[in-house]
Amino acid sequence: MGRRAAVALITAATAGLALGSSRPARAFGEEGAFDPRVLLTGNARWEGVRTTAPGRWSKELADRTSAPARLGPGTVRADEPTLLAEPFALWGGDDAVLVLTDREVSGLKRFIALGGVLLVDEFAPEKGAFLRSVKRELARVLPEGSPIPIGDENVIFRSFYLLRRAAGRVEGPAKLEAIIRGGLPQVIFSAHDLMGALARSPSGLSPIAVTPGGERQREKAVRLAVNIAMYVLCSSYKDDQVHAPFLMRRRKSTP
Amino acid sequence: MNRSFALSGDLAPPFVILACALAALSAVLLLIELWRSRRARASAFRIGASGLLAVLGLLAAVLRPVGIVSKGSLVGPKVIVLADASRSIDLPGLDGTRRQAIDRALAELDQRSGEVRYSVLAFGDGAPTPVDNVASPGESPPIAAPGKTARAPFHPRARLQSDLGAALEAIARAADERPAAVVVLSDGRLDRPAELSAGDAVKAALGALQIPIHTVSLADTAPRDASIRRVLAAGAAVAHQPFSLRIEIGCDGGLSCGDVPVVARELREKGEPTQLASGVAHIVAGRATVELPMTIERAGARILEISIQAPAGDAIPENDRRFITLDVTRDRVRVLHVAGRPTYDVRALRMWLKSDASVDVVAFFILRTPTDNVEASPDELALIPFPVDELFSEHLPSFDAVVLQDFNAEPYGLTKHLPSLARYVDKGGGLIMVGGPDAFGPGHYGGTKLAEVLPVDLSPDRKEQGTDLAGFTPRFTEAGRVAPVLAPLRALIGEDLPEIPGVDLVGDARRDTTVLLEHPTRKTASGAPMPVLALGEHGSGRTMALTIDGSHRLLFSAFAANAAGRAHGAFWDAMLGWLMRDPRFEPAVIDVRGGCVAGEDTTLTLHPLPGPQGEAVVKILRLGTGEVVATLKTPVDGSGAAREIAAGKLPAGGYSAVVEIGSGMKNGTTKSPTTRRDFACESGGEEWADSRPDEDRLRAIAAATGGVFVRAADAGQLPLPAATQVATERKVAPILPAWAWTLSAAVLLGAHWVVRRRGGLT
Repeated sequence: MGRRAAVALITAATAGLALGSSRPARAFGEEGAFDPRVLLTGNARWEGVRTTAPGRWSKELADRTSAPARLGPGTVRADEPTLLAEPFALWGGDDAVLVLTDREVSGLKRFIALGGVLLVDEFAPEKGAFLRSVKRELARVLPEGSPIPIGDENVIFRSFYLLRRAAGRVEGPAKLEAIIRGGLPQVIFSAHDLMGALARSPSGLSPIAVTPGGERQREKAVRLAVNIAMYVLCSSYKDDQVHAPFLMRRRKSTP
Repeated sequence: MNRSFALSGDLAPPFVILACALAALSAVLLLIELWRSRRARASAFRIGASGLLAVLGLLAAVLRPVGIVSKGSLVGPKVIVLADASRSIDLPGLDGTRRQAIDRALAELDQRSGEVRYSVLAFGDGAPTPVDNVASPGESPPIAAPGKTARAPFHPRARLQSDLGAALEAIARAADERPAAVVVLSDGRLDRPAELSAGDAVKAALGALQIPIHTVSLADTAPRDASIRRVLAAGAAVAHQPFSLRIEIGCDGGLSCGDVPVVARELREKGEPTQLASGVAHIVAGRATVELPMTIERAGARILEISIQAPAGDAIPENDRRFITLDVTRDRVRVLHVAGRPTYDVRALRMWLKSDASVDVVAFFILRTPTDNVEASPDELALIPFPVDELFSEHLPSFDAVVLQDFNAEPYGLTKHLPSLARYVDKGGGLIMVGGPDAFGPGHYGGTKLAEVLPVDLSPDRKEQGTDLAGFTPRFTEAGRVAPVLAPLRALIGEDLPEIPGVDLVGDARRDTTVLLEHPTRKTASGAPMPVLALGEHGSGRTMALTIDGSHRLLFSAFAANAAGRAHGAFWDAMLGWLMRDPRFEPAVIDVRGGCVAGEDTTLTLHPLPGPQGEAVVKILRLGTGEVVATLKTPVDGSGAAREIAAGKLPAGGYSAVVEIGSGMKNGTTKSPTTRRDFACESGGEEWADSRPDEDRLRAIAAATGGVFVRAADAGQLPLPAATQVATERKVAPILPAWAWTLSAAVLLGAHWVVRRRGGLT
């Protein structure tokens, strides 16, 4: 397959260049595009330096991949019907969340039951209060599920980039955590402040320093975000048998 | 005429016996009385004689004897003649065809019609029936047999089997007069009883009916014939998996065969058949078996043509070619899912495909375009090249269905493979095109070969057919409301559909296409509502066009939550099932009653699903040319009751019966849901496959039942049972009138009283 496929890729690349470089997010009405909506519960509000992070996440995804993304993602509340409009939501914070209301629990249950994917991002990994409180509340939503560590054996770590470990504003643990349902991660826990690494000021600079790896670590955080988005859009595509020999060879060849 | 006598004309036998017993007792008592009185011998004799006469007179007066005059006739035994009505009787036989031999045998038997009562029945499939001669005036009359019979030539409806066992079982079970014997006229090449233990099988079929079966042979030598005697699939035929056809070749009648080439081909709706395998049969001792390994890529009823190249001098060319309908099953549905970019719609379809254990998915999604800046080296990416050439040339036949979802043909090198993708559909593959900004017209499919197989028209002008980003709610068409393929979805969501964010602009539905969903406001150039979901058939394959990219809203949305997200699975399960001709999603099932034989009347049986009403239109198309050879119509009342449709006489070959129920919907250009059934008509068929007569089997049947085996010319010599005498008239007349008997008894009693008084007895 190799030589002919390579020729095909080159052909495709040439044809693609001929089409021009501008490519709008073009799902009908942006319907099928990736949309990193921010989930709000209780009296939480979406404010601060990280509010630019979802937009940058979308832009990085659209620039780096073929996936369409909404460049101006919004927020959604757990007790609103619009939570069910799309199958992804980002739940982030730096402090413990309030106890979920029954309507919020009900809304999240329906979101999960329909197959929605939830990313829980800890903005203050040093304290970890947000993550602990979210796990406590999600135990009411998913009493049968408990988070388990997921590393580079999981499809999230190879859905676009080949990643060896998780990364964010902080280096954090090498693995993410996830509640697995139907063999696939459905609630993903990041203790790395992923949104902190993605935040960008109006001037285009990153307002939050990434430690200890600096910009290289920020790039890894972006790649993890791209991979999470690709996982949301493609599910277990990269677990297909047809990819296995290629990915195995590349894993061995990269240090 | 017979004359006889009876003691009494009106008393029942027990009373006659009682009267005789009383008379005898009286006589005995008289003798005892005389012995005890010790009278002189002469006196005792007179008393005794008069007493006995008096008793007899009294007995005669009670019984009043009668004379009987009767007339009668000889009645021959019932003999059932079972004449073989299978198609093999048109093969060469004794001095002509085997059919002519039957006529001769019947003429011979007719010469003894005064001795026996014949009941001539035709046997073949199931219970025997009276000979239903079907020769029409237009047909060339069968040659009448010589002899002085007035019987019409034997020309019943041809049976596709020769099941003597079923005929004998029916006779044994019949409630009417039991036959004294059965005469079987056959060539011995029977489906039942089998060659081995034919005698025992016939005795078992007769059960308690212990009668002789005489057998009359119609042929004694095999014709000069090379034939395909049997075609067997070694194991089940499963799509995409290699299997073998075992083909038994016969060569008899002194024909010199040697090596005989054998070819297996699959018929297609249009175009030349596809050769599947070939081989050479090495004939030894008149027979050979050859295994033809092959792989059939399409499931369902596939029509295979097996042919041999017979040597010169072959007397029966009709059995050199067999058409068989092979039901190819499917282990798992192999689906190639190609998506132009990852979206929630792609995600939803992939998740459904992966969740169905009966579906084997091979997926390729374009994750990176040439303009994307990945900011990484290739080794850091989990991407593989899209093997477009390999997929759409080498591996394409191995897939049951191809899904092109929002995929632009041009940038990724698919354009050059579109003709082969169209041929793939033509040969029986399934194709689904799902909408999006890079599908249909914007995806560079307009004006291509693939556009010709899609169920909707695509303009070659991309500007003319782009996309409409305005949201809308599709609506069901009239066909969509009754189509079984949408029934599971409608059972979950009823008439409501979610709002869809946009649509690809397409033209009219193609002719013979079924539109299930349409746009509520957008019209095509012809003014018809624009199709949103259309199903079509092309060649042997099926295609589906879904011009939206929002079917995921059936899985994940506030609307979807009402049905717990199950509507998406119900929709796609039915769509893929329809594409794969799953009977659950067909509007009807059609089959050929009793099979199809070239030149014989063919009957189709239509089993519609309960619900659809109207007129069912059945078109019979000839495979290879696509020519419509017959258009048949029958009303369907919606009850689901089966309908039989006479299809007339068809020439040998493969056919496809396409059924449309409820035709004539408001939109005259599109169709109601359709279904089809491929079938084959053979010239010779199973009955001509082995042209050799089997006299040994006939001998075995006769020997096992006490019958006799003869050839047709000697049928008149069969030892049939003798006739029996049967009374037809009986006249009873009294010997004397009743008063004479009474007077005689009184006189004799009086005389006896006088003799007793004189003899000193009181």
